[in-house]
Amino acid sequence: MIPAGIEAAGLTDVGLKRDGNEDSFSTDDALNLYVVADGMGGHLAGEVASRMAVNMINKSFRQWLDSGASEDMLFGVPDASLSRIANYVLSSIRLANRVIYEMAIEHEHYRGMGTTVALVHVVPELIIAANVGDSRIYLIRDGKIERLSRDHTVVAEQVEMGIMTKQEAEHSPLQHVLTRNLGSSEETEAEIFEIEPNENDRLVLCTDGLTDLISDEEILQMVLMENNPGSLCRSFVDKALKRGGHDNTTVISVYFTGTGKAKPGSVKKIMKKFRS
Amino acid sequence: MAKIILTFNKRVIREYPFVKDSLTVGRKPDNDILIDNVAVSASHARIDKVGSNFILTDLQSTNGTYVNNKKVESHTLIHGNQIVIGKHVLIFWESEEERTAAAQATKKVDPDKTMILDTVTQRNLLAKQTTVPRPARREKLGVLSFLDGSQLPDIELVKKLTRVGKSDNCEVKLSGMFMSATAATISRRPSGYVITFAGGRAKLKVNGEVIIGSVPLKDFDTIEIGAYKFQFYQKEANG
Repeated sequence: MIPAGIEAAGLTDVGLKRDGNEDSFSTDDALNLYVVADGMGGHLAGEVASRMAVNMINKSFRQWLDSGASEDMLFGVPDASLSRIANYVLSSIRLANRVIYEMAIEHEHYRGMGTTVALVHVVPELIIAANVGDSRIYLIRDGKIERLSRDHTVVAEQVEMGIMTKQEAEHSPLQHVLTRNLGSSEETEAEIFEIEPNENDRLVLCTDGLTDLISDEEILQMVLMENNPGSLCRSFVDKALKRGGHDNTTVISVYFTGTGKAKPGSVKKIMKKFRS
Repeated sequence: MAKIILTFNKRVIREYPFVKDSLTVGRKPDNDILIDNVAVSASHARIDKVGSNFILTDLQSTNGTYVNNKKVESHTLIHGNQIVIGKHVLIFWESEEERTAAAQATKKVDPDKTMILDTVTQRNLLAKQTTVPRPARREKLGVLSFLDGSQLPDIELVKKLTRVGKSDNCEVKLSGMFMSATAATISRRPSGYVITFAGGRAKLKVNGEVIIGSVPLKDFDTIEIGAYKFQFYQKEANG
């Protein structure tokens, strides 16, 4: 069940209430790496943090991937529960965190800056999904929607521990208080999941500007109705704006295309290096 | 000043104002709110003032602590909450000013704006939790146990993605004429473990049903892959 090809699109919008856009994103179809980040911090610091996260992750991940780095060359202790490529992802997030953290300490006007991150990397035999904070990753498969990310918010963690009910969580004033982000502590761990791809999978990565206003069920319906990932991003942003656009909204849609056997494409070539 | 009103059979017994940051409830004499009743544990519960919030924590008591008829381990109190401990009812009461202040504090937190939990606050919260060790989000570990009488040891599903099949890159290697290179994969997702048929001649069955897509795994599901049979269960992970 290997996707023959991948079509992806991304879009970001400042919304109707904010002065600046603190979100950043990247889509790299050669690398099959898709990243969204939602920055926080005064003045331009939020923007700087999210942009740095996206750039740093792209750069270090590509470097390790291209050189086929061994696990002892990575940043921090590798996670034994993950594949080698997933460890590249984990490590690139750790490194981005450290750089943002150090910048925030060094420069007064960057103090307190931080960012979320949600990313997906696709190789023929794996979908790797990673996140820190409350930006999300959705998988739409067989007409169903599933989260491949875990919210790092006080509320979400209390719900998981059974301290708070989902209903209480929806009305909690602490909705947006993060327990983890990139930039506020020297070390942070990303949530990482690896699953096998299916040939018609669709993925959505987004910041909370979208998920505050659009439910999981609505996301599912919209994805099922739209066959073009670019148009999907547009309709997501339009819907968020129609509902008040209180925050920056960023969304990336990744569609696996084609059926049958995998064609040897760029994805395949990258994969070959790691088959040893 | 906020206070706790201790009542029994709808009669007020005593009021306890929050003169300090923490009030303890229990049967032992060193508690701030002493309730001498067998239904109450020696150290039953505690209420901590954290900023403008008051947080109730059950100290793993025998008979539990209830707020508004629901058993709680930890609960942020709001004005008028009734805490039931044994046959006693403790009412959380805030003054008019505190109620308005609390409402404003809630408003001041722009609920749409993302922020990181200030590390000092977090550290304080964590420090308070050390007396009631409750590890955050304990992950369970999935295990496959062979059911077909073979002497093979249990397989712990430590990886995020475990491949099952004949090929060398499989974490769980199975042999046999009709075994596929990769017959199935088991992934650990935010929702739990999921098994997926990977194609090939060896059929995948869960609880006797043939699976061609994916199904979530529950404790004690039986899994058949070709001629092999396993039981899936989850255990508390060490560390």
